[in-house]
Amino acid sequence: MKSVRIIALRQDRKRLLEHLQNSALVQIKKNENSEKGFSKIDMNSQMQVFERNVTLTQQALNVLDELAPQKKGMLSSLAGRKIIDPDEIGVIAADAGKIIDECNRITELNKIRADNAAEQIRIRTALAQLEPWQNLDIPLNTEGTKTTAVFIGTLPKGYTDVTLSEELAKQNTELIFNFEIQFSSKDMTCVVLFAPLAQKQQAEEALRNIGFAKPMTQTSHTPKVKAERLREKSVLLTKQSKAAEDEIISYADMREKICNTQDYFRIRADKYNVISELDQTKHVFVINGYIPEEDCDKLTQMCDRIASCYIEFGDVNEEEAPVKLKNNKFAEPAQSIVNMYSPPSHADIDPTPILAFFFYFFFGMMFSDAGYGLLMVVVIGIVLKIFKPDKNMRNNLKLFQYCGVSTIIWGLIFGSIFGDAPVSIYNAFTGASLTMKEILPWPTLDPQKDALMLMVISIAFGLVHILIGMGCKFYICWKQKDYAAALFDTGLWMLMLIGFAVLAVGMITAPIVMYIGAGIAVACAIGLILTQGRGKKGIVGKAIGGVASLYDITSYISDLLSYSRLLALGLTTGVMAQVFNMLATMLGTNIIGIIFMIVIFVVGHAVTIGLNALGSYVHTMRLQYVEMFSKFYDGGGQPFEPFTLNSKYFKTKNSNDD
Amino acid sequence: MNGLFFALLGASIATALAGFGSAKGVGSAAQTAMGVLSEDSSKFGKMLVLTLLPGTQGLYGFIVGFLILVNCGVLGGNLPTAGQGLAYLGASLAIGIGGMVSGFAQGRAAVSGIAMSAKDDKNFSKAMVSITLVEIYALLSFIVSLLVVISVPNINV
Repeated sequence: MKSVRIIALRQDRKRLLEHLQNSALVQIKKNENSEKGFSKIDMNSQMQVFERNVTLTQQALNVLDELAPQKKGMLSSLAGRKIIDPDEIGVIAADAGKIIDECNRITELNKIRADNAAEQIRIRTALAQLEPWQNLDIPLNTEGTKTTAVFIGTLPKGYTDVTLSEELAKQNTELIFNFEIQFSSKDMTCVVLFAPLAQKQQAEEALRNIGFAKPMTQTSHTPKVKAERLREKSVLLTKQSKAAEDEIISYADMREKICNTQDYFRIRADKYNVISELDQTKHVFVINGYIPEEDCDKLTQMCDRIASCYIEFGDVNEEEAPVKLKNNKFAEPAQSIVNMYSPPSHADIDPTPILAFFFYFFFGMMFSDAGYGLLMVVVIGIVLKIFKPDKNMRNNLKLFQYCGVSTIIWGLIFGSIFGDAPVSIYNAFTGASLTMKEILPWPTLDPQKDALMLMVISIAFGLVHILIGMGCKFYICWKQKDYAAALFDTGLWMLMLIGFAVLAVGMITAPIVMYIGAGIAVACAIGLILTQGRGKKGIVGKAIGGVASLYDITSYISDLLSYSRLLALGLTTGVMAQVFNMLATMLGTNIIGIIFMIVIFVVGHAVTIGLNALGSYVHTMRLQYVEMFSKFYDGGGQPFEPFTLNSKYFKTKNSNDD
Repeated sequence: MNGLFFALLGASIATALAGFGSAKGVGSAAQTAMGVLSEDSSKFGKMLVLTLLPGTQGLYGFIVGFLILVNCGVLGGNLPTAGQGLAYLGASLAIGIGGMVSGFAQGRAAVSGIAMSAKDDKNFSKAMVSITLVEIYALLSFIVSLLVVISVPNINV
């Protein structure tokens, strides 16, 4: 990693930044304070406009997605960004104003739809409230005539003519009244009550006492007319909404342009964000940044071509500089796994190559089925070919493709091709009783029969894995000239684990090998007791520190046992596949049986693939993170994040993405 | 008297108890995950991974149950003796109980992990690893059950 400082004329600023953004060579360094004589330009208001436009276009796209959904394949989300010529951005920019107007129109129309939908609900409620009053031939808000008071409203109880007059008479014996019941149900009575104007007070009180309430919908028309009008309005609103919808749908063809416009504003917002970070004077501006060493020439050439500027490369402060991982084709897909944990700091070595190998290896061992592996390789191959995904997605897919290759190999070793599908189907049709072991021409290792054997193998792989992790620690310490840590803290433990391994081998082969192993282990233990307390003061402190360090053996044992998951998950895949094969061939070989077989076979194996691929992925990752990384890897570095086209829909040809 | 009843009891215990643990674990994790998804549905993939983590116990239990069935004459193999049946029953207790309890515990860990990675995507791998720490105990139970089950047909009891 190098630091870079570009000084150029302000008239070239736009062009230079655009090229930097397209090429993604440089990470811009942000610093709070400007150097003497320089100042920063506030670009906030422009950035806000751009960001608002991004939000607006997104809203418009959401509306379009709702009303005119695009037909998408299941895998289309894997598709990469469209490649366009840098000049085309100019065309998009020229159209941007028009597109924004259209987006405004789309959101406006959608607002109408939303308002209408709310209004429709209000109308429906009002209609429901008017329903019991259908036969009333005076307006609901009638207060009375010159001599009569009229009360129109509901009572919270079911009354008949008789019970209501009894109830009212009970409330006030002097009250003169007449009423019509419009509607009556078990817990509601709609009533119109007439009383002399002189008794209005008494009538109101009597009514209040039995829970009289005026209807919610007040209107100066008769209920029937009002309901009719509301219905008319509802029809009108429906028409209006429909028209708005149609107009929105007519914009569906604009979707691609809206997407491009959104990206255009997103890119510009990024660019202005960078501009506001730059130190500038009236005539020049300065870019400070980081650049990977191998890209320096490319940058110089590019800048010379497009602008007159001065470029200066310098060494970086390793603790602050970002880290860019660089690996060959085989290991590159696993970088995302490393980055997910934490990118390496300047003190770490890049663990990607080791991690990549073991990731593929362990994943294959856990998933362990030649049929599934082949499916992974082929399907991912087709997806890569058809959709041409972006770099990150492509690497993730490749990771699983390589895992698939390893899965095929392990599947063949375990004698598993869609479980025992070949023989179980053959047996179902012929009535034979073959096993996979018999039809495969090479020796296989059946996890169900040889579980113990496989467990030993798993733990042996674990030992190798851990030893390699410790080897890395040894190398790091040695490089930092911390020889004591390398030899005593790491070397002795490595030897001791090897000693135990030899001892274990000796237990099944010759006693002499066992003694050699035990000898190594004991010698290392003594070595550890003598050296591990070296940081402590006094003989007693040193001795206690030394002996206590031996307790670490428990963590090594639990680490090693953890690798038995290689067996467990390998077995899970095999057994589940076998169970589904057994179910599939259950109904015999008549027509129904064959249809049943195909359905169960497809569904069952899909379930097995889903569950076990997930399990294998998670547990492989765990073995790397917990068992191996804990031995040597700290992480905590800053990833290299170049100034680039941070877009969703298009990218330019010369962007450094590929 | 042969030991078929005990063997089948063992198969049931292994499958049901471990499945119980997983069901509860996955269930509570799924509830939390759905809460997160209601806010941000783009996290579905990550949430799915974290939700399914407590599901392995059930699979382990199922495998032990299945292997017992394969060995004891229901799906092939010979009928077990009474002693062998009891041995199957004994073996199934390991993954049954171990799987159940670790399923509960892993479910709780998964709930916290989901909350953690909902806050910040960068926490995802840490959450995932922390949740799998619980699993080793289910794994050990499974290995013990498995080693016994596959060796029982050769034991003469």
